[in-house]
Amino acid sequence: MNLRAIGCNVASAPVELRERLAFAPPLLTHALAELNARYGTEAVILGTCNRVELYLARPEVEAPLHAPLLAEFLGEVHGLRAEAILPHLYEHADEEAVRHLFRVACGLDSVVLGEAQITGQVKEAYETARQAGSTGSLLNTLFPAALRVAKRVRTETGIGRGHASVSSAAVDFLLTVFDTFTDKVVLVIGAGKMGRLTLQHIRELHPARVLVTNRHLDKAQRRAAECGGQVVPWDQLDEALIQADIVLSTTGAPEPIVSQRRFDEKVRYQRSGRPLVIFDMAVPRDFDPAIHDGESVILFNVDDLTRVANQALAERRRHIPAAEAIIAQEVQQFVLDWNRRKDGPIIGRLTAEVDRLREAVVGPLLQRFNGKLTEADKAYIEGAFRLFQNRLLHGPIAALQEASRSGQGHTLREAIRKLFGLQDS
Amino acid sequence: MSASWWQNVTHACFGLSYLLAWLLEWPAWLRPAWHRVCHWAAVGFGLAGLIAHTLFLLVHHPTPAAPDGSLLLLAWVLALFYLYGTLHQAGRAWALFLLPVIIGLVGLAMMVGRLEATAWPAQVPAWLSGERFWGALHGTLILLASVGISVSFVASLMYLLQARRLRRKIDPGRVLPLWSLERLETLNRRAIAWAFPLLSAGLLLGLVLWRQERGGWENWLSVKVLSTGGLWLVFGVLVYLRYGTHVPPRRLAWLSIAAFALLLVALMAAHPFAPTGGPV
Repeated sequence: MNLRAIGCNVASAPVELRERLAFAPPLLTHALAELNARYGTEAVILGTCNRVELYLARPEVEAPLHAPLLAEFLGEVHGLRAEAILPHLYEHADEEAVRHLFRVACGLDSVVLGEAQITGQVKEAYETARQAGSTGSLLNTLFPAALRVAKRVRTETGIGRGHASVSSAAVDFLLTVFDTFTDKVVLVIGAGKMGRLTLQHIRELHPARVLVTNRHLDKAQRRAAECGGQVVPWDQLDEALIQADIVLSTTGAPEPIVSQRRFDEKVRYQRSGRPLVIFDMAVPRDFDPAIHDGESVILFNVDDLTRVANQALAERRRHIPAAEAIIAQEVQQFVLDWNRRKDGPIIGRLTAEVDRLREAVVGPLLQRFNGKLTEADKAYIEGAFRLFQNRLLHGPIAALQEASRSGQGHTLREAIRKLFGLQDS
Repeated sequence: MSASWWQNVTHACFGLSYLLAWLLEWPAWLRPAWHRVCHWAAVGFGLAGLIAHTLFLLVHHPTPAAPDGSLLLLAWVLALFYLYGTLHQAGRAWALFLLPVIIGLVGLAMMVGRLEATAWPAQVPAWLSGERFWGALHGTLILLASVGISVSFVASLMYLLQARRLRRKIDPGRVLPLWSLERLETLNRRAIAWAFPLLSAGLLLGLVLWRQERGGWENWLSVKVLSTGGLWLVFGVLVYLRYGTHVPPRRLAWLSIAAFALLLVALMAAHPFAPTGGPV
């Protein structure tokens, strides 16, 4: 195996560099083709907002690629100096590269531990490379294996359970209250940056309408334009609260804008018991926490959602050892299977060659004693030569398998090929 | 193998199968690594229980007029619901809530069957045993209403648990995935809307038959009559609260649970036409 995983992630490189190293689609195809043409390597480029990684597999006779060379390549493609890139690159070789990819695909190397999105990104990166024709036998085996391992880890451990980010926790709380969203009204109060991702996730549920209100009409209009919403004047906040099913509040008001008294007098009874879910993402809070009754009004603030996300993360961390154990087992199996696959043809050719030599000796021998030997004698002689052949080959084959396990198979395969005069098939 | 082996199927056979299915559902939800194996093993036991249950009903022909018969028939219909729900909504812990109801009904049927063995002789009046059309219709309407009440009960339990989690702001993804409040409330509402007219029609038909057969109102103070009347009243209140006013769904859920308790009393009590006059 001549495999390298070279790249940078959120832990090794600042966001400014990762942004510069990102591959837009046309550049990605170009880079894959260049790697293929220039270095004769199979290549997959995995680019997400948290990482840029190149998985490179060359024939074993070739020297492995290394981080300085890749830094030059990346610098050339992105118009950066290689010296600026190299200190931020990490490099994993062979078995460690396999382990790294498996960990990445399972979300063990992600900022949000166990996130599911990365598995899809790994799949997409592989598909892009495959369509660009830059993958070969090793990467075509490795990436499907990584996706299978990710699925296994998610099924057999709790690494992906719960909601490990504030926005996903918010959406999942919504899914425990509502079943359909196409008849729901979302009200956005304020224009704060907090909660933008949450709103983005809520909009993916396709609510019927998004209402936006703000003390400043121009800000409300801007926000409404961003999220495809409809502006409601600030003085109609109570009416909007009566209409709404989901509220996302992000104002910068120094004190609550909706007190319990205001809510009870002007909103609660006009809603006829319809459930209202409020995500109060503002600090200080916009809604009086006493409004929450857990049934007709369900109010979550940033602390509630963060607590849930942290609990989920803590729960996921408990499953890291189980996930790592599965990965260790799968890495070992992958390396073993790959080596068997590499050793198979040479062992086959060696056996066939020695078979041919044995028959070339035994055949004339039996001819010479034709008529003087019984069938049992002939079978005994043939068996003895076969036994000799097996004992002769046992040493080289066992040594080859052992060398392959330790990553030194290539040298021995070459030696066997030369010693026994084996031709490439 | 004996030609009549299925005649040896007892309450214990299917009751234990359902119990094993329920016990296997727990690790299926609490240990993700075991989910698939335990879930399918549970479905296997549930299916085996349903087959044994069906054979038992085919062999013994229990009458819905007898307490144990009505409990067993109700449990059988709910077992069909369980299997359908668990196969079509595999991502929800529906079975954990429905199976105990089925197991409880089978257990009660066993208990009542033993108690009633002497009090319920074989010569049941013909219309009660379902041999006549109107009697059979009366029994069927009450049985279907009972199914609706049971579904409403299970939906209410799930609703209360889900609402409790939300009140305490507990991560919904941590344990036992349930349906949304909206869906559970809809399920409860539909079950009530389904059960009330059936219950009303069944009771009305029963009253007409009673008047025709007996010409009077003897035994009207029996537990069965009183609990069924109470059940109808509770359901009337439920329908009024659901459609006439805007009562919080949590209160409706508690009323649904009360209705189910009354249903159990009504099903377990002897029919007023039982030859012994019916135990109280």
